[in-house]
This record gives sequence, C-alpha cells and structure tokens, in this order.
Amino acid sequence: MEARVLRVNLSDGSTRVEVYGEEVLRHYVGGRGLAAYLMAKEVDPKVDPLSPENKLIFAPGPLSGTSAPTGGRYNVVTKSPLTGFIAFANSGGHFGAELKHAGWDLLVVEGKAEKPVYIYVNDDAVEIRDASHLWGKLSSETEEALREEVGVEKAKMAFIGPAGENLSLIAAVMNDRARAAGRCGVGAVMGSKNLKAVVVVGGKGAPRAADRERFMQAVREKVNKLRNDPVAGGGAPKYGTAVLVNIINENGLYPYRNFQESVFERAHEQSGEAMAAKYLIRNKPCFACPIGCSRVNRLFYLEDEVEGPEYETVWAFGSDLGIADLHTIILANHLCNELGFDTISAGTTLACAMELYEKGYIKREELGEEPPLLFGNTEVPIYYLPKMARREGFGARMADGSYRLASAYGHPELSMSSKKLELPAYDPRVAQGLGLQYATCNRGGDHIKGYMISPEILGYPRKFDPQDDSEAKVAMVKEFQDTTTLVDSMGMCIFTMFGLWIDDYRDLLNAFFGWNLSSEEYLRIGERIWNLERAFNLKAGLTRADDTLPRRLLEEPIPSGPHRGSVCRLDKTLPIYYRLRGWNEDGTIPDSKMEELGIGWYR
Amino acid sequence: MVRVKLFATLAQIAGRREVEVEATSTSQLLQRLYELFGEPFRKELEQGMIMLVNGHDVEHLRGMETPLQDGDTVSLFPPAGGG
Repeated sequence: MEARVLRVNLSDGSTRVEVYGEEVLRHYVGGRGLAAYLMAKEVDPKVDPLSPENKLIFAPGPLSGTSAPTGGRYNVVTKSPLTGFIAFANSGGHFGAELKHAGWDLLVVEGKAEKPVYIYVNDDAVEIRDASHLWGKLSSETEEALREEVGVEKAKMAFIGPAGENLSLIAAVMNDRARAAGRCGVGAVMGSKNLKAVVVVGGKGAPRAADRERFMQAVREKVNKLRNDPVAGGGAPKYGTAVLVNIINENGLYPYRNFQESVFERAHEQSGEAMAAKYLIRNKPCFACPIGCSRVNRLFYLEDEVEGPEYETVWAFGSDLGIADLHTIILANHLCNELGFDTISAGTTLACAMELYEKGYIKREELGEEPPLLFGNTEVPIYYLPKMARREGFGARMADGSYRLASAYGHPELSMSSKKLELPAYDPRVAQGLGLQYATCNRGGDHIKGYMISPEILGYPRKFDPQDDSEAKVAMVKEFQDTTTLVDSMGMCIFTMFGLWIDDYRDLLNAFFGWNLSSEEYLRIGERIWNLERAFNLKAGLTRADDTLPRRLLEEPIPSGPHRGSVCRLDKTLPIYYRLRGWNEDGTIPDSKMEELGIGWYR
Repeated sequence: MVRVKLFATLAQIAGRREVEVEATSTSQLLQRLYELFGEPFRKELEQGMIMLVNGHDVEHLRGMETPLQDGDTVSLFPPAGGG
C-alpha cells in the first residue's frame, strides 16, 4: 500500500508526483494525518499564511472513494490566516471521492499564480488553466461554467466564491455546489494563490483494498450497524442535524444573542421538526453515505430548491442573532454557500457586531444608510453577507471575523472565539467537556474534532453529566479528540461515531491496508497526529494563554435557564488535560513525549 | 399536573407537541404517556430516549425514579444526534 501525492506549483506551473510508502502510512494513515506530516516537514510554522510559501493541501483519506460507509470526506489542510495555527477543514459531498478515483491520495498546491487559474485533473493528466473569466462568480455560476468548459458532466470540483477571492479570513473552500470545508479561513489561502477552483474527473474507479474480501465483509457489517442505529439510521435522516435545536435548547445550552444567554424561547420555530414540516423537499446523501442527513429545502420566491442549513448554521443566523425566522436562516445559508463563507464564523461575527452596536461601541452614524445592527433584525445577514464578501461599506469591517472586528473597537472580549476561531452552537458553561475541547482544539474554537455533546447531551457512547469536570471527563475529551483525528484521517464522516467506535474503524483499516494493528495502536496514531499538529502550533507561537475561552464564558454566570449561575471551569480541567496528554504545565510537549510518539524528528 | 413537551417523531405520533399529565415519578409519567399514545409511542423509545426534568437529564437525577411535582416540565426526545 502506498499514497500517491500530486504536487502542483502555481508559481512555475510545474507538477510532480510523489509516493509515500507503508512506513509513513502506518504512522499517519493518510488524509489529515498525512497532510499534517507534510505541513510539519515542509512549511515554516511562522510563514505568512497568505504568502506563496504556505501550502494548501486537499486531503481525502485512504477510505475516501471506497464503499466504506461515508467514505466521501476530505480535509483542506494549511496554515490558517484566521488563527495563525494549523487548519484542517473537512467537507463531504463527492469531490474527495473523485480525487481518489483519479488516483490521488493528496493534492498539494504550492506557490501562487500570477493571475486567476484553476487546476484540471483528469486522472494522470494535470493542467493549470486560466480562470480570469470566473473571478467574481458565485458558487453556482462557477460550477456551471466549469462543467461546461471541461465538457464532462460527472466532473467534481472544489472552488472559492467572492469571499475567498477577496481574502476574507472567514472564507470557505466550497465543493459540490453547497458543501463547505468551512473553518479557519482556508478559502482565503486558496484566494491568495489566485486559485479559483480544482476540477477533477476520475476514471480509475474505487481504490482497491489489500484484502478485498475481508474489506467488503467489514463494510457490510458497519453499514448494517449504522442502518440499525437509532441515530444514524433514524433521527439523522428524518430531521437532519437541526434535530438538535430543540434538544440543545431544552438542555439550556443554545446560545442566544452572542452567548449573552443560553436559552431561546422561540427555538422551536427554527428546529429540524419545523424545517421538515415547512421547507424540506428531500434528503441529499454524500458519497457512499447510508445516513443522508443533508437537507434540500425550499427557498420561496427566489430558487426552487437550495441545500442546507445544518444545525450550526441554523443557530449562527438564528438564535445567536436573536432571529427566529427560519426562512431568513435558509436564505442566509444560501448566501454563504454562494459567496463562499464559513457559516459559523459569518453568523458569529454578525452577532458580535450586534453586541458592539447594542453596547454603543459601533455608532449609528458609522453605518450611514446601512441597516442598524440590532439583534433580531432579519435584514442584517441578508444585507451584510454580500458586503462582507466584497469588502464594501461596513461589511469590510466584518470580513475578517469577530476577533478582528471586536479588537478594532477595543473589545476583543466580545468576540466569542478561541484562537480567533468563532465558537459553535453550544454554551460551554454547561458542557464542561466541550468547553475544554473549544479551548484545546488544534484548529481553534471547534466542536466537531472532539464532539463532547455526544456523551454530554446525546448519550453516545454513554451519558456523561455535562457539568461533570472530573478527570474521567477530561480523559474522555482526549479519547474523543484522538478517535476523531483517526476518523478524519481515514476519510470517513465523524457522524459515524454515533454508531461505530474504535474497534469498527480498526476492522475497516486493517482490512483495507492488510494490517493487523490493535485498536490501541490506531488510537495511538490519532494521538500522534494530534501532537504533531500541536507541535506545529507551538512552533508557530502558541502558548498556554491561547488555550482559553472568552472572558464571558469563564467569568459571567449563565443568567437564566436550567444551568443558571454556571461558568466554564477551564481552570480546573485544563491542567488535568495537559497532564493526561503527557505535556508540560505550560502546555508544551516534552521531548520524551515526542520520542514516545515517534515524532522526535520534529522537536 | 406535569407539563410534558414532546419532540421529533414523538410529537408526530402523539399528534401534539404538549400534554399535561398527572404523575409523581418519571416511570409513572412514561406509563401514562404509553397509555395515552399507544404502542407506536412506546416502540419509538425502545432504543433509548432523552428525558429532561426542568432541563436536567434524568440520567443525572434519579433515572426513572426521579420524583415529579406539580408544575415541573418534562422534555422528551427519541434518540437523536447531529452536529
């Protein structure tokens, strides 16, 4: 088994092929793990993220493009211009699988083109083509134009919208029309390279497993397990991820008005149930997915149908802005998809602006004739999102996320972010484990790379009191982070973690690679990758002070709801976390730990 | 009376989003709901559920022995996930 890496240098127009063998794969598996390895080997952690010296890696995993359930995922890995640390933004759809069907495990983009270009990959034929005529186009326009241009109906593509072109630090890399590798401003890195799109046509078929019979048997077994799972096989397809709206709100951790409160009285109006009743047309599964959680919804008067929104987006343009109206949320989500924005960061940035306005730091006069930034004002997302993407009017102030906006007004504490990445839709003053995840994730304020809501609220793999802040809870955060890192690196969707666990992933990987590693050894791979990413961040300048949360969440008690009076007790959990990780008290990694994990070469 | 809020498929099966029942414990409340809404309702909760009393999961209270009082609010969900 080997990994084939395609390198495209946009500065000199050259392409190169590299092959990584078994030895590297046994250490990093592939996907996000292999990309982290290349970032550590090749990219100066202090590099300006928007300079030609940064690299942009498209990283499906070894199981992407196979029949493994949800094997359609890929990561975009680079140094983030938003956080200044490593970025890994994950997306579904079909692009990642297509890249594998073209015979590539990784696509590494280097340098910077002189003018807008796109990369066309048709199996082994790779071309850099002019994209001047596509610059400025929305996602749907870009995809239509490119599909016509390459003349292949089944072509799959990843691209940026106007937000990425204009180097918005919260821009996403989009694919398959409305899927997003959303977080950490990876779209701005693509824009900085003058790369509008990557178009892929794969004719080589699915990657072959080393032990085909064993692999097919493992696939059948895991698909059945997911189909019979009450969440993956039932709740998720029926109501989509937005089924969480009512659950999270009833549990008292659905942030309202920029985390000023954590219960929204009108949450049910934007729930998955309401969406299914009023707007849902059908589900739209990603490649090889037996779950099919994505929604296709009606957008009245404008388009017949649009994709999304997911739970996080419902919250970001709903409760976080004090907005109940689901139609506004569907429209805002559609705008983000067309403009190429990370919905969590875009919504949270608007919420931050609203609080700055409410507190009088942003003055009415400053907005001129533009809409007042009032909580609950449905005009705000619809009006400002296109302005943000094009850096026009007051939109220009909000184009680089909430931290830079709030800092410009002297109030960075009003940015609900960690490491400058906007926080998602759960109040960490309730879910103590998730709070620790927010503060310690290598890519910044993220929920999904250690999704503690699963045990803390939903009960998978077992129920764990959200307010528990014991060592057992911290150990579970570590286990979730390491397991998720493995799943991410395999090229599978982390939603499989509602029905599968480490032994299942072991079965799939062993059969695919023809290995006989234990579950512990696979967890070790996750831990190795996590530490390598951390080591990159430390070299980039990360200190213990970065592993934190906004002051509000650490010091201001929740004002109402079932968890009234609670704060996030990070001061208790963080030192335990460092200890369980085998790190020093200042959050650095001891040389001995690096050696133990086999990454001593990156000291 | 205890106020019960039903969500997702449970609201569909019951044909309503809220109901008031007389119950002094969570197990008694569940029994009352099964009587009211029948076998499909019970079946829906066979593989697990999320039951909150005043916003707190009964798992972290006293499970199915959790006492209920007049004016309590119970939120009931079938198994669910997302993110």
